[in-house]
Amino acid sequence: MKISLNWLKRYVDIDEDPATLADDLTMFGLNVESVEIIGGEYSGVVFGRVLECGRHPNADKLSVCKVDAGTGTPLNIVCGASNVREGLSVAVAVRGAVLKGGFKIKKTKLRGEVSEGMICSETELGIGDDASGIIELDMDLEPGTNLDGRLGSSDVLLDIEVTPNRPDQLSHFGIAREIAALYMRELREPELFTLEPGYKFPIETEDESDCPRYSAAFVSDIKIGPSPQWMRDLLISAGVKPIYNIVDVTNFVLLEMGQPLHAFDRDMLGRDGILVRRGRSGESMYTLDGIEREVGEDTLLITDGETPVGVAGVMGGRDSEITDSTERVLIESAWFDPRAVRTSSRALKLDTEASYRFERECDPGITVKALMRACRLIADIGAGKPEKLHADNIADRKLLDPRTITLRTKQANRLMGTKLAADDLVELLSRLQLISVEEGKDINVTVPTFRRDITEEVDLIEEVARLYGYENIGRDEERRCSLFSEVSIVDMRNEELCDRLAARGFAEVITTSFMDPGDPGRFQWGESDPRGRPVEISNPLTVAQSAMRSSLLPGMLRVIQRNAPVESEGIRIFELGKVFLQREKGNGLPLEELHLTAMFTRKSAPLQCLGGQRDFDFFDMTGEAESVLEWFGAPADLVMERRRADEPDFLFEWILKNSSVGTCGMIPGRVAARFDIDAPVYYFDLLMDAFPPGGSGRKSYSRISQYPAVKRDLSVLAPERITFSEVRNVVKKRAKHLESVRLFDYYRGDRLGEGKRSYAFRMTFRSLEGTLDDETVDMAIENVLTSLQKELQVVLRSE
Amino acid sequence: MTEEIPDGESIDRLGEEASRYIAEASDLETLEKARIVWLGRKGRLTSALRSIGKLPTEQRPVIGGLINEWKEKLGVLFDSRCAELSGSCGDEEPYPGDPTLPGRRSWEGGLHILHRVIRDIKEIFYRMGYSIAEGPDVELDYYNFEALNFPADHPSRDLQDTFYVNRDILLRTQTSPVQVRFMEKNEPPLRIISPGRVYRNETPDPSHAAEFFQIEGLYVDKNVSLADLRNDITWFIHQFFGPDARVRFRPHFFPFTEPSAEADMTCFGCKGEGCSICQKTGWIEIMGAGMVHPNVFKYAGYDPDSVTGFAFGMGIERIAMLKYGVDDIRRFLGNDLRFLGQFWNETWVGVQE
Repeated sequence: MKISLNWLKRYVDIDEDPATLADDLTMFGLNVESVEIIGGEYSGVVFGRVLECGRHPNADKLSVCKVDAGTGTPLNIVCGASNVREGLSVAVAVRGAVLKGGFKIKKTKLRGEVSEGMICSETELGIGDDASGIIELDMDLEPGTNLDGRLGSSDVLLDIEVTPNRPDQLSHFGIAREIAALYMRELREPELFTLEPGYKFPIETEDESDCPRYSAAFVSDIKIGPSPQWMRDLLISAGVKPIYNIVDVTNFVLLEMGQPLHAFDRDMLGRDGILVRRGRSGESMYTLDGIEREVGEDTLLITDGETPVGVAGVMGGRDSEITDSTERVLIESAWFDPRAVRTSSRALKLDTEASYRFERECDPGITVKALMRACRLIADIGAGKPEKLHADNIADRKLLDPRTITLRTKQANRLMGTKLAADDLVELLSRLQLISVEEGKDINVTVPTFRRDITEEVDLIEEVARLYGYENIGRDEERRCSLFSEVSIVDMRNEELCDRLAARGFAEVITTSFMDPGDPGRFQWGESDPRGRPVEISNPLTVAQSAMRSSLLPGMLRVIQRNAPVESEGIRIFELGKVFLQREKGNGLPLEELHLTAMFTRKSAPLQCLGGQRDFDFFDMTGEAESVLEWFGAPADLVMERRRADEPDFLFEWILKNSSVGTCGMIPGRVAARFDIDAPVYYFDLLMDAFPPGGSGRKSYSRISQYPAVKRDLSVLAPERITFSEVRNVVKKRAKHLESVRLFDYYRGDRLGEGKRSYAFRMTFRSLEGTLDDETVDMAIENVLTSLQKELQVVLRSE
Repeated sequence: MTEEIPDGESIDRLGEEASRYIAEASDLETLEKARIVWLGRKGRLTSALRSIGKLPTEQRPVIGGLINEWKEKLGVLFDSRCAELSGSCGDEEPYPGDPTLPGRRSWEGGLHILHRVIRDIKEIFYRMGYSIAEGPDVELDYYNFEALNFPADHPSRDLQDTFYVNRDILLRTQTSPVQVRFMEKNEPPLRIISPGRVYRNETPDPSHAAEFFQIEGLYVDKNVSLADLRNDITWFIHQFFGPDARVRFRPHFFPFTEPSAEADMTCFGCKGEGCSICQKTGWIEIMGAGMVHPNVFKYAGYDPDSVTGFAFGMGIERIAMLKYGVDDIRRFLGNDLRFLGQFWNETWVGVQE
């Protein structure tokens, strides 16, 4: 909220410079987001007195003056104004001063005469339009006194962030009240007009809870015209455009006291009386902004008994607006239910200064006072003749009763970590007009109606803390820690996994959680695929961000797409992130699965002179995946299966205990093309929860043999349908003393005859008990060959 | 060379002759020739060893042993002379003429900078006794707002623009829902942090993103105070940003804490002097914090008279921007490898302005 410093000074003395004030307010909980100096766009301008004034020897229209500007010896200044004369009090821009437009004052020569400064006009200081002559000051100051902020209508604007719990700060008087508490200064109340009650105006409310209080004053002899300059200046400072006196007064009181008022043309109200009621379906009215609005059940209306004349707490109606011919007005000052106003404002998509305050709960005790203030102003500026308080309908008396809350000294100290006495608390609270009575160790605090946010003990403790000063709390550097932290095995595993992948040359990426709902279509994930039915956002930012990702693949493909123009050589990336899948059962929240997805494209290594560069291929991908799976200690019964045997896509699935724990393969070319990628992209994608949380942590130690190994190479011929993993499983199962088996040659071609493949692998045998002799190894190999033939029709290859 | 039958004497003679040659060799080339002549695959000692078969069986081990002794001895002599002459000899150069050719490299990789920052933050809090907790990104309105003391239809909900899935389900706007979820399942005392993604329905600009990371902290025990909060946060900031960073706490409002505070630290751009980054205040806001509101304890099933606690939350991107001087929050999820690579090592060479 924009707060004018000049306005604040009507209620409280402020000597601090704006920067200090802003800092102090910020530390007091009124966050000053900016300080803006308006009007006087100058600095370094001082009060001066013209001691002598003579003709310039070389120019008719110029004068040469001796000016006392507090600098010791008088300054020699050349001046072009016709009103400059001896004895005049003037504004002097001395060397180093900055004027409007950033114009800097330097020592200079004008037609041969030295000029050590400048005597200013209004335009040069940015405080007015009068460029005809220099300003004639009617103040008496010590020459050299800085004039910053003292000239013209200059003002300082503080932009204060008012939090939603503090509607009492949404006015100048409210802020002044805080400043008075902060600096412990006297607070001056605005002057009021004494309004005699003369309740002639019946107020009815359909539902009393919508409008617990409705007050109204009657003003006659209205003379519509402009407001006085001081009021216009203050309104402009606070960002409100002056219109004409009656409206300006209502706006002034809103910004002064925080109470929204509305002035109706009394003669345009059809009947004597006001009925506050909800809108009816099909009903409509024109609001002040000239727009016809439908006002239904969710809109609270002010009516003259029949016709709507305003939306309660939001905006008045066009037809009862004040005009040039208005003679009598009815000023409304009410307290509407915050929720009712919020609902109306939302229904009409109309936020106003009034609705903003009503939503946050105004002071219900101030309605009449605000009318008395408005009447005072109207009377003072001659805009009309205040008559009587026409109405003050209080449906809910309790609203006006001050709350009493008990504050336990012990609890206050416990929460703040302080050692304050009850006396200290009472004194601190009194600064905020919170009346406190000690009762033993506790304090009974009476809360005035303007602090509706204070409803329980902890609210008082916050007030105490901020009055005492957060900076005074916890300065002793005494650190306490009553708990030791627990290790998260899953978190450790994930961190280690990421480190491993980074060390293996993968760039970690973090992509958006959002997904284009068109992506499942681009990937051809059907309805039966859970990824094909992503969770959708009802109010997305853009269509492309209107679903939650059901897979990391689309986001990562986009990373490749975006980086490809620069990183054309090769990209390898991974992401460890959540995907979101619809879930039929439960509380409606989707299933959030943690996935590890890696993606590779183009070259397997950077361009270099030693060692070749080749394209990434399928087995680069599976090699990386195997490395991760082995690190996980993936169970032996993990099987890799072709995902859709009937389709040309090279997609495989890892199956563990009949459920899919990951996929891998090549992104189909037609899919990649939809992401503008023309190179093959390989990927693997693992469901993290399917693997043991401990990561590489081994369960136990294996003894290491001290005896030499025996190595034997075998070359076997297998039918086309037999995979190496099947061969390997048989070898592992049947070969006694086998330490490892490694495939080193694979061939499929004409030499072998149709439907045949050959595998050559090296087996390493070793025993913990002793050196293996040839017979033992021979026997193991015999066993392997027999089983291979029997179980898989795989035979020893004869050259 | 004639295939003579070796005897002990001729072997010794051969050996002594070779020793002389080795000792007298004046350059590496001569030395290498000597090596080939005596020790090479067809060298004289090697040939002698090969012809050992012609000896009577009982002599074979004696002469064979003698030859091997000489081979070993000459090998040592040869190596030491070689070292004298050059320091290296015998092997081919291990590089093709230019040892400064770039070495063989595979792709470089590294962690995402946000991950690094989250990890650094976690590590500090782990050392302070905090454990880790997690919660869902797609959250119930109940946990994100209601149980955090944001009443329905209350202006405090306007503080955060929210993405909704439906009336009851939304994308969490803060990591704070983890507080209630964790308290529901655990008894005090507890001390946790919870990093994660949060979402705000805001049009992105250099300092606002629609999704970003936060880290939440919660400490509940019998007598946790505002002073403890200040001490923990100040300690964290000094650990993360260095001991010169100054921290200040000022009152603020959050529905789920009271008293509430915002913590500022001295601006990294001007060290507190005031510059455009900190809007001339010298301070940068880095987190929201406060004492857990009694209503939140009630929602979680705790008795607010028997326990107190503090909570805090900070934006990770903001912290990363402050620490590394990143100018645009959108860089983080942009995943430009030229951006990510800068944080992998010290000497990243990229596009420089």
